[in-house]
Order: sequence, then structure tokens, then C-alpha cells
Amino acid sequence: MFPPRLIQQPIIWELGHKFELVTNVRQASVNDEIGIVCLELEGSPIEVEAGIKWLRTLGVNVEPVELSTVES
Amino acid sequence: MSHSQGFMKALKCRECGHEYALGATHVCEFDFGPLEVAYDYDRIKAELTRAAIQSRPQTMWRYRELLPVAGEPSVGRQVGFTPLVKADRLAKRLGIRELYVKNDAVNYPTLSFKDRVVSVALSRSVELGFKTVACASTGNLANSVAANAAAAGLDCYVFIPHDLEQGKVVNSLVYGANVIGIRGHYDEVNRLCAEIAGKYGWAFVNVNMRPYYAEGSKSMGFEIQEQLGWRVPEHTVVCMASGSLLTKIHKSYQEFTKLGLVPETKWKIHGAQATGCNPITQAQKAGLDFFKPQKPNTIAKSLAIGTPADGFYALRVMKETGGSGDDVTDDEIREGIRMLAECEGIFAETAGGVTVGVAKKLIAQGKIPADSSAVLCITGNGLKTLDAVAGHVGQTREIRPSLREFEALRVADQPELVNA
Repeated sequence: MFPPRLIQQPIIWELGHKFELVTNVRQASVNDEIGIVCLELEGSPIEVEAGIKWLRTLGVNVEPVELSTVES
Repeated sequence: MSHSQGFMKALKCRECGHEYALGATHVCEFDFGPLEVAYDYDRIKAELTRAAIQSRPQTMWRYRELLPVAGEPSVGRQVGFTPLVKADRLAKRLGIRELYVKNDAVNYPTLSFKDRVVSVALSRSVELGFKTVACASTGNLANSVAANAAAAGLDCYVFIPHDLEQGKVVNSLVYGANVIGIRGHYDEVNRLCAEIAGKYGWAFVNVNMRPYYAEGSKSMGFEIQEQLGWRVPEHTVVCMASGSLLTKIHKSYQEFTKLGLVPETKWKIHGAQATGCNPITQAQKAGLDFFKPQKPNTIAKSLAIGTPADGFYALRVMKETGGSGDDVTDDEIREGIRMLAECEGIFAETAGGVTVGVAKKLIAQGKIPADSSAVLCITGNGLKTLDAVAGHVGQTREIRPSLREFEALRVADQPELVNA
């Protein structure tokens, strides 16, 4: 989930260049409030970890596709 | 049609409609959309009549054709058919003509609606050959999985945040479950659970078993309709954590209508959240069809999901049915708990206070008209969240064992008694 201030930034492109990762958008919904992108990442576990860490430092909210596995 | 599938046809992606075999899987491989169980409604219509339902034991399994198990359920056979209470005193207090409370605070065996979803998930897990079941939970779900797994002789792993209150942990440990505290952030717990489900091939009730698990919630809606005398209520107020229960209550009304078990009618479904965690109602009130994630801060811990998995679908149901949504503060939640307890003798957990508090608001706003009829879905027992109300419901007053002191106390309460 991308906060509004990042919507003009080509984050997925950067992710694929900074890290050894193949990115594939499976589903997305972007408007001026928020961007929600279902992104498939293919690469070594170390690169995937690093990529996710980088996204988080930018303020992108990253979750596995399962969403909330923790329930009340 | 193979009868090893019961009345189920397939798992179907809610986004693209792609179909999958009825295994332990929950996400579409194409668009990552959630999978849902598809049924053979023509066959169900031929078998599931009012008479057939009424001839069966009073449990949630009397609607078995519409629940995702292939054969007879093996876990949680006694679950459900909780009372639908005609709440005249609460109706008067809230200012509505007719009000009912669907009381899952007394659901069997662990006093919350989770027993419904868990008994379905575990029955299906047994059918699929699983020996170990698991969940990640902070309360009701963990208790229910631990209890129902114990009764079914299944190995059980419960994952919890490492700093969860001891009282909540005991309610899972007592059943002999393996309770694992995880030191980490919420999203790290999410990912670990997904990884464990994949690697160990366990049945994670709300991960790989989620399509079956979620369907169990429909039984609450089926019961409401039968207990109302085979009709859909005009208004239903449902509290929302992931938003799944609200969507499944709606589905239960659609299914009974489609099968001709209830007359066709219009209904409105209203969603209730705590103001300290209101991603869904905030979006609903702003007229948006998506929500913004939040960091929860509310006494309604059982509703504290900041990124609700079914939020999008819950918003759609509220919009499609013409329902609304609202949220209440911690004080309003406590007031809701007290109103339900004082008027109807039902002690609900904080989520129930949310439902009552929001119903009060919606009635006052005219979104649920005063001359209409409504059902409030109460999902858990107040004994589970005593801390939330302790210190807010008055105090005991002490006297010596003396009649004079007792009478003095009564006069202090009611000065008009002096001359009585």
C-alpha cells in the first residue's frame, strides 16, 4: 500500500533495478488517496527480503497476500 | 457430480471467477483474489426444505447442505442455534419498534461466534486428511481452535503475540494446545504463519482453510432467518473486524432467498466498528470503496484489525443493501455493554458493546427508522473481556451485618423511603 506522497514515484521500476528481482503486478487499484498493488516478486530470498525492507523504509506498507492471518 | 464433494462444486476466485479443486488453498494464482466455495444450488434446492431443516437437531449443522463439508461434520457437532432474543426493553431504550439480539455470547463450546467458523474449518480439515490444525489469534479464535481440536483429537498449534495477557493464554493452554508466543511485529507474524502453513502442510484455519472457515459464519444468518419465522430482518447490525461476518450474513440472506426458504424482500446490513479501529466505517462514511490501513487503539480488541481482509467486500455489501456504518468510542462501547446487560441480562464482550452502541447511533440518526425492525449480532461473551469494563460498572458497597445499616443505605438511595 503506497501513501499519497509516493504515488508519482516509479517505485516498482526502481525495485526491479535496485534488486535482483522480477516484479509482476497481478492486481492494482490506484487513486489520489492510496495505491494498493498486488505484486509478485521473484528472486532469491535474500533479495526479496532486502527489497521489502527498502520498500518499508520508503513508507510503503508491505504485507503477504494472506493479509490478516492474526484474528481475534 | 462426485458425492465426495457434498454439495460443493469448486473453489472460485471472487475477482476473476477462475475455479480450483476443493483443496486447502485460498488465493487465486492469477490475480491473488480470495477464493470462495461455490455450491450446486439446484441440488441443494431439491433437498433443503423448511421441513427437512426443522426435522434436524438444533445446531448450525441443520443447514449442512449450505456449509462446505462433503460428508457429516466431525468437529463441533453441537455448535450453534444460539437464542434469538426479542429485546423489548432494549428496543424501548434505543427507540425502535422491534429489536432482536442474536446471542452468540452463549455459543458452544467457547462462548463466541468463532465456534461456527472453526467447526466448519476443522471438519473440512479432517475430510482433507489433516492431522494438525493451527491459527494465529489474540483471543476468541485461539480458544475455539484449541477447544474444538482437543475434542476432535487433532494436534493444535496456536500462535499469539508474545506479550498477550496471561488470562487469554490460559483459555487456550487449558485444552492442551501448543501455544507459541511470537516476538515480532504484526505483519511479521502474518508472514510467518503463511510460511508455516505452506511448509508444514498444516491446516491453518484462517489461511489455507479460509474459504471453508469463512462460510461457517453464514450459519448465524441462517438461524436468524429461521428463528424470525422464516424471514429476512429489515435491518441487521454486525460488528466488523475483517468484515467477513458481515459479508457472510448477507450471503446467508441471499442463499435462503434464492432457495425459496424465505420470501423475497429488501434488507439493509449495517457495519459497526470501534472509533479506535475504524478503517471500514471511515471509508463507508466517506463514500469510498477502499479503506486506509490503521494502527488499532481500542478496548474492542477482538475487532482490532487495521487492515481488514474483507473490508472491500463489506463496504460493497453495505452500499448494495443501502445499509450504513458507524463507529463508537471506548466510553460508548462500555455504555453499549451496560445497556445490553441492564435491559436484556446479556453480558457481551466489547465487540457487543460496539454493535449496541452503533445501533443506538444509527437509530438516533434515522438510518435505522424508529418504526422498523432490527437484529443485533452479538458475537462474544463479556466474561472474556472483564478488564474492559471493570471499574466502569459501579462498585459494591459494604455494610456490617446490621439491618439498621442496610436500611440506612436504602434510605440514602431513596430518601422517600424515610416515612415508608
